[in-house]
Amino acid sequence: MAGLDPQFIWFGIVSGSLIALGALGLTLIFGILDFINIAYGEYMALGAFVAFSLNVEFGLPLFVGAIVGALVVGPVAIALDKAVFQHFRNRSAIVLLVVSIGLSFVLRNVIRIVWGSGSKRFDVPIEEAPTYFGVRILADQVGIVVLSLCVLGGTYLLLRRTDVGIAMRAASDDTDLARLRGIDTERLVLYVWLIGGVIAGTAGVMLGLDAQLRPTMGFTALIPIFAAVILGGIGDPVGAVVGGYAIGILQEASVVVIPSEYKPLIGLILLVVGLLTRPDGLFGEATR
Amino acid sequence: MGYASLVVTVAIIAGIYSLLAIGMNMHWGDTGLLNFAHAAFFAIGAYTSAILTTTGGEGLLASRVVGFEFPVVVGLVGGSVLAALAGVVIAVTSVRLEGDYLAMVTLSSAEMIRLGIKNEAWLTSGAQGIKNIPRPMADAFPLQLGSVTVGYDLFYLGFLLVIVAASYLAFTRLSESPFGRVLHAIREDEDVPRALGKHTDVFKLKSFGLGAGVAGLAGALWAHFFFAINPSMFLPGLTFTIWAAVIIGGAGNYLGAIAGTLFVVLTRQVTRFIPGDIPMSSELPFIRLIVIGIALIAILYYRPAGLLGDEERLVAGQMEAE
Repeated sequence: MAGLDPQFIWFGIVSGSLIALGALGLTLIFGILDFINIAYGEYMALGAFVAFSLNVEFGLPLFVGAIVGALVVGPVAIALDKAVFQHFRNRSAIVLLVVSIGLSFVLRNVIRIVWGSGSKRFDVPIEEAPTYFGVRILADQVGIVVLSLCVLGGTYLLLRRTDVGIAMRAASDDTDLARLRGIDTERLVLYVWLIGGVIAGTAGVMLGLDAQLRPTMGFTALIPIFAAVILGGIGDPVGAVVGGYAIGILQEASVVVIPSEYKPLIGLILLVVGLLTRPDGLFGEATR
Repeated sequence: MGYASLVVTVAIIAGIYSLLAIGMNMHWGDTGLLNFAHAAFFAIGAYTSAILTTTGGEGLLASRVVGFEFPVVVGLVGGSVLAALAGVVIAVTSVRLEGDYLAMVTLSSAEMIRLGIKNEAWLTSGAQGIKNIPRPMADAFPLQLGSVTVGYDLFYLGFLLVIVAASYLAFTRLSESPFGRVLHAIREDEDVPRALGKHTDVFKLKSFGLGAGVAGLAGALWAHFFFAINPSMFLPGLTFTIWAAVIIGGAGNYLGAIAGTLFVVLTRQVTRFIPGDIPMSSELPFIRLIVIGIALIAILYYRPAGLLGDEERLVAGQMEAE
């Protein structure tokens, strides 16, 4: 590809990390609970705003805020499941989707009441990006990529090596079969919300670090994340991550051919083409 | 006097949203299609009508080169037709997808349409929006009828109510016609009408087009009443609000859709009538959205058929995953 600046590849890796991280948490929840959780965007925003409070209002270092912000969302996701989603467990995926829209209304406006509706920034120095090999690379961006890779790797190990992770994969594949083999799927649901919530919180903090914090930040990030989840095959964590990086890199590289305002279009095109040609996802191991 | 004119404005908003809910009910209530692109059809109707009836020109931020200055009625028809076409085009790519996949594709498509409106300033004035959209028959008002003065807003409300009533009658007739029965059959179990030799994809496209068309008409009516439009009026939140209205009112029932709209619009607008000096008044806009969110969840839990939904019919709450 002539004229493809390596700078775009780096931007693509950064936004791919953000999309992959968000998609990982969402696909884990989607795989076990079997519905699209629109409120997931608000889970991400919540993590970011908790980190913001600790970082800016209490003056703590950002990484402390980030860790607490990420960890808070796990228990919150469990509490919301107990309060809301649990009562709809045997309803259809579409009812749960609409319920999650209602929940997202509630959460987004609670965030607006607590933190205000303006846009905010973390307390990080604004500095000129140093150039390595002709590519401008910000420290924040390195942080995003490294932390995302750590979370992705950690989750991979968790899913492969621990009993809970193996049980999660089994239940994601076939819930009834997993239950038949003695896996307590209700307890598993708690783990899924916990892990999915913490990943959502981390993704939210990273999103805030990449740009700004707004109450709608999570929702606006959802579309490429959904595209990555579906492209990867619902419930397939590896697929979601590959899908996330693919969408991120293609989006940034697309500015060579199309006006940059339209780069979100790439996610939609991949989503539609993926759904129509490979409805089971990239690796054909979808749960349905 | 102040309150009276506010009531009329709120009623106009409720009327326009009712048209949106009628379109959504054709998609979800009658056909079981998950359409999350309603805000985009509304936007296409508003922009088409505005472009057809205004003149282009230099702006502060953007210069629009397209503008036709046609009469308002051309705008209303053009807006509806183009929105209907957009509905069919989106549906062609995605109507075979299963429920929640369709939701994702339509939601993304709507955002892309909004992105296009925001960026193609030569056509839409971009983020600056279109202003000075003409009001139909504005010169005739205020009209003196004996001792009573009829203001323009009241006239527009009457005009709108006629359109809402006509749409209501047309769509309920359609829903009870043989065409509507095929849509209901698709909603219950698509294999059955297909086994009877019906081209269900074509029926779904027609349903999508009709519902999108009435949403486009709503958009055009919005633009011609409020003078000015801009891309931030057509966020996905609008789609979700209409969903909440249809579910709360009772999917599958057009009267329910209108009742749900009234509930949602009143909840959102009631704070206009509350004095500004009560505690938490600055948080009220957010609190009323929280109320709508909780109402939506509560209705789905306690009364899945919605306020006026027909228990006999398939309702959102009773459709089990296959």
